[in-house]
Amino acid sequence: MKPTIKLKSLLLLLVIIFTGSRTSVVAQTQNATDSALSDRIAALELQSNYSRTGDDHLLVIGLATFGWVSTKTTNTIDGVSTVSRSNSFPDADHFEFSPMFLWRHGTKFLMEFEPSFSNNGLGVNWADISYFAAPNLIIRAGYLVVPFGTYSKRLAAGWINKLTTDPMGISEMAPTDYGIEVEGGLPLGSMKMNYNFSLTNSNLLNNDGTLSSGSMGDVNSNKTFTGRLGILPLSNSSLELGVSGMFGKVGTPGTSFQNAKGTAYAFDLNYVNTISPLLVNIKAQYNIKNISDVNYISPVDSVTAYTFTNHSTAAFIQCSLRPTTADNFLHDMELAGRYTTYNTPSNSTWGSDQSSYTIGLSYWMSWRSALRLSYESYTGNSTASKALNAYTGKTLKNSWYIQFAIQL
Amino acid sequence: MKKLQPIQTLSLVLIFIFSLTGILSLNSCAPTSAISAKTGVQLWGENCQRCHNTPSPMTFSPQQWETIGMHMQTRALLTQDEKDKIVGFLKSSR
Repeated sequence: MKPTIKLKSLLLLLVIIFTGSRTSVVAQTQNATDSALSDRIAALELQSNYSRTGDDHLLVIGLATFGWVSTKTTNTIDGVSTVSRSNSFPDADHFEFSPMFLWRHGTKFLMEFEPSFSNNGLGVNWADISYFAAPNLIIRAGYLVVPFGTYSKRLAAGWINKLTTDPMGISEMAPTDYGIEVEGGLPLGSMKMNYNFSLTNSNLLNNDGTLSSGSMGDVNSNKTFTGRLGILPLSNSSLELGVSGMFGKVGTPGTSFQNAKGTAYAFDLNYVNTISPLLVNIKAQYNIKNISDVNYISPVDSVTAYTFTNHSTAAFIQCSLRPTTADNFLHDMELAGRYTTYNTPSNSTWGSDQSSYTIGLSYWMSWRSALRLSYESYTGNSTASKALNAYTGKTLKNSWYIQFAIQL
Repeated sequence: MKKLQPIQTLSLVLIFIFSLTGILSLNSCAPTSAISAKTGVQLWGENCQRCHNTPSPMTFSPQQWETIGMHMQTRALLTQDEKDKIVGFLKSSR
């Protein structure tokens, strides 16, 4: 064999090997590029899916409050005073653990359920389902907070409330009950308005003249109608004024209460605006409740009838200030003060004229968790009937509170 | 003329306010152009603080914001447009 042919064969072999290996390197590089690109696309798809609104979504949030209270109580009756002191850790009224389940089904249905462990017992704050029927029209059914004023529905949560206590008598007049509700917010030129109407099982008049609610059955088959209209006259939504009414029969058929009616009104105000360097927050509500005059049976002898004008009022005004423009620790501090008055019927077994001043300082650890210190001075003058042995004299209470509140 | 009881007077005042609001809402439900032009961030700043501090967009995922938006619409009675813009802002600002 000629050496030239050998050399040619060798060159040919080298060309084949070189070309082959190069093709392999290009293919490998191409494969690596494809793989990285695929990974990136997959990650983007995942991210995109995560951002997309799913058909169903279950979310658990909620709130917890935990506190400590120290109280000095002075009770004076017939000129004799007794003093008592207590401290509690936590006190029954200011500890709450309430997870809230929000279950969204598409964009039309929302189920809300909030069980609550409070006052050493388990309860339910609300359990309802909302149907978003049309823009600005929501229909709700279930166990719901009736739309009476704004405090119970919007401001009572421990992490939202600027002070450690609730204003007396305000929540008591806005019961939770079984029923249906329609509500929504509407544009009104440069203003806004909102509406909220409910039909619930009747409130029930008790033997002492107080009302109870939340019965599964409607004892007198007459429903309670409650409605609220709110208007936000300023274009920046900083001011809201609301008026509410609640009407219905409250008596049980076959009793002397059967024709008794209950009527209640509430007026609320909410103003939140930055007046540099402070965020000014003013809230107020005034409740009036009237129940028809009926005869009650004396708890003393269970025979004698007695009556009284069943008229109650409750009101509070609260102002809080927060230096939101400060660039130091003051930015996270909020000072709040509140005056509350609550008057219940005289000559009943539970009547009193009560008032309280509360002042508190919050340290906001985040937008939804706060550590609070507050002081409350309470005065209660019993107007209950002496003839019914219900008079409890004058009570003064001075309380210090420390509270941690968080939304989870 | 029979003198009205305070409660009847109050009822009449309420009926008047209800009717007036009803007429107003029927006649001018459309928002002005300035209101329509408000952005999500502007509405977030104005409306959330009516009850509580303004939430950080980072607190919840976009899907969670969608659910919370519906819950807040029932609590604060936001208009549909406000709710959509606020949720849009919170989802896009994470």
